[in-house]
Amino acid sequence: MSSRPTVIRFESVTKRYRTGRSRTIVDLVASSVDRLRGRNQDNYSAARGRIGSTVFALRDVTFDVAAGTGLGIIGSNGAGKTTLLKLISRVTWPTSGKVRVAGRVVSLIELGAGFHPELTGRENVYLGAGLFGLTRREIDARFDEIVQFAEVERLIDTPMKRYSSGLYARLGFSVAINSDPDVVLVDEVLAVGDAAFRRRAIDSLRRLIAEGKTVLFISHDIWNVRRLCERTIWMDEGRVRAVGAASEIADRYMEEVNVRALANRNNALQSHRSGTGEIRYTSVQIVEGDGCPAGIVREGSPLVVRASYQAASRVARPIFQIAIIDVDTGLVVATASSHPADAPRSVEGAGEVECVFESVPLRPRQYLLRMTITDAHQLVSYDVVTGETRFAVGAAGGRSGQGSDDEDGIVSLKYRFDHRLRAMS
Amino acid sequence: MAATRPLLDYAERIHPAAYWELLMNLTRREVKGRYSQTLFGVAWAIAQPLATMAVFTLVFARLANLSENGVPYPVFVYSGLVPWFFFLNSVNSGTMSLIQYRNIVTKTYFPREIIPLSQVCSRLLDFGAAATLVAVLMAYYNVSVTRWVLLVPGLFVLLVAFTIAVTLLTSAVNVFYRDVSPVVQIGLQLWLYVTPIAYPFSRVPGQWKTWIALNPLSGIIEGFRSAIVYGRAPDWSLLGLSAMLTAVMLIGAVVLFKRLDKYFADVI
Repeated sequence: MSSRPTVIRFESVTKRYRTGRSRTIVDLVASSVDRLRGRNQDNYSAARGRIGSTVFALRDVTFDVAAGTGLGIIGSNGAGKTTLLKLISRVTWPTSGKVRVAGRVVSLIELGAGFHPELTGRENVYLGAGLFGLTRREIDARFDEIVQFAEVERLIDTPMKRYSSGLYARLGFSVAINSDPDVVLVDEVLAVGDAAFRRRAIDSLRRLIAEGKTVLFISHDIWNVRRLCERTIWMDEGRVRAVGAASEIADRYMEEVNVRALANRNNALQSHRSGTGEIRYTSVQIVEGDGCPAGIVREGSPLVVRASYQAASRVARPIFQIAIIDVDTGLVVATASSHPADAPRSVEGAGEVECVFESVPLRPRQYLLRMTITDAHQLVSYDVVTGETRFAVGAAGGRSGQGSDDEDGIVSLKYRFDHRLRAMS
Repeated sequence: MAATRPLLDYAERIHPAAYWELLMNLTRREVKGRYSQTLFGVAWAIAQPLATMAVFTLVFARLANLSENGVPYPVFVYSGLVPWFFFLNSVNSGTMSLIQYRNIVTKTYFPREIIPLSQVCSRLLDFGAAATLVAVLMAYYNVSVTRWVLLVPGLFVLLVAFTIAVTLLTSAVNVFYRDVSPVVQIGLQLWLYVTPIAYPFSRVPGQWKTWIALNPLSGIIEGFRSAIVYGRAPDWSLLGLSAMLTAVMLIGAVVLFKRLDKYFADVI
């Protein structure tokens, strides 16, 4: 691995942008006059406000990328991910520091950005690939492949204004990855196009990596990052927060995102609830085995939901229900205290109830709770609170589940493969 | 694995063939965008100088005979308007071009000057179409061609060079100060009158001659007229001054453009 040459090198790169309103000639004249009179330079501009203010998009960023790497870039909005790609593609230049790149860079910051709707697909292939620096002869040699990959054979001589947006993006992607790149920059563009195309796009990026090309991949979809990238950079407010193995960084990142999301809500339950109100939850907490509140539950470890309630009057045989819901796929499990041993005969005033899950064999991601209190026949809902309480499952230390990113689904089951070769008779 | 490429801290130069083809493709995109779904297409390129010629002929030819060498006024003025409109249209659309192409400027890297250059190139088609009418008018008015017409290619290079210089300057500065575009538009309107187009250079009053001569377009347009419609040697000192100013401006414009183009994507 160490023998692979470096293709991208950031040497303490800082990038500052000017913010506020843009300068006008009036500003230029005014600041020149100020300067001539020996006054403090931007006196005038300061009075008119905020053209001098700047914002750091990147601060002192240093890292290397070796050829043949799939590098994921994750981080919240405004962390500097796109600026990173723009510096590599030379769209913009660092305020200080050096960005070194080897070979041809192809950026998919926006698919088909160079296309013109009045031109046909064929003409746009030449225009688009030309923007990446290819000559006509080079494009001729790749033309069929580009068209086939995008599946636009039928419409290639039609003006692109007649294309659907998915088709537009497909041709843009196809031109980019077939432009003989050494470095491919992908910025959250795979959200367009249908599922089949997305899969082929990911496959083709994987193939490029296998061929020794370098792919930098920005995505908010951590699963795609893990699927495509062996290494990941975590950007946070313009700095490199962490670099390392994709699965490890992704887990740490998700953990923090979830903790932040949890920190943003207090436990007072008010909104997003329904029910007749004879009895209501007053607070819901996720606690760990030792009783401490937790936002992260380790894969496979116990989970305790502790809820306080307040009954306005005497309520006979209430049934407490707790459901775990996966944001993407829906209900994971619903529990109910319907067994006579699980619930009191009647309640009045305040009380507390706990539901203990002895282990949570769930895949690492975010889940939310739906808390319900019903009557004994589960016909009348006294209280229903959905989504006020969330928790995240973090990967078990070290290997997650079977330790493979190829696992998918909700449940993390312990399994192994046994393989026996049988002699042919 | 592919052969190791060196780590560079500047953008890789693109192949000259790729550069040229990209310029041509952007030019085609420009021309197609301009004339698609118009009924007469490039014919509109002739309409513009022709209409101005008609107005000038109606107004100025009546006031005074401003022509020279016995050339009919319509031929005289049209032969000046063709290079003028090439310059005017190139600078006009060139000034806004980088802003118009914001989409690709902020998303991919390629040599930025190709965008204003493609604007100039796209106007060459208009120029060619309008120029054919010079021949038609000369035939109609019985103006004959002499050997001085051989100067035309050189004058053409000079015109294109000067147009490129101005377009590079205005397009680059316009990225930073949007006020440039209206200033350029007003400036161009005035420029028409300080260039010997409606009148010959010889009729300029003495005290203004130096100022008019410092306008590089004066030498170029007078040169075109001498070579084509007057059929005589151009005013060499006027033309020489134009050529010198054009060379200086072109070098200055290229240097300034390459200095500024690193910041385009940040402010555009």
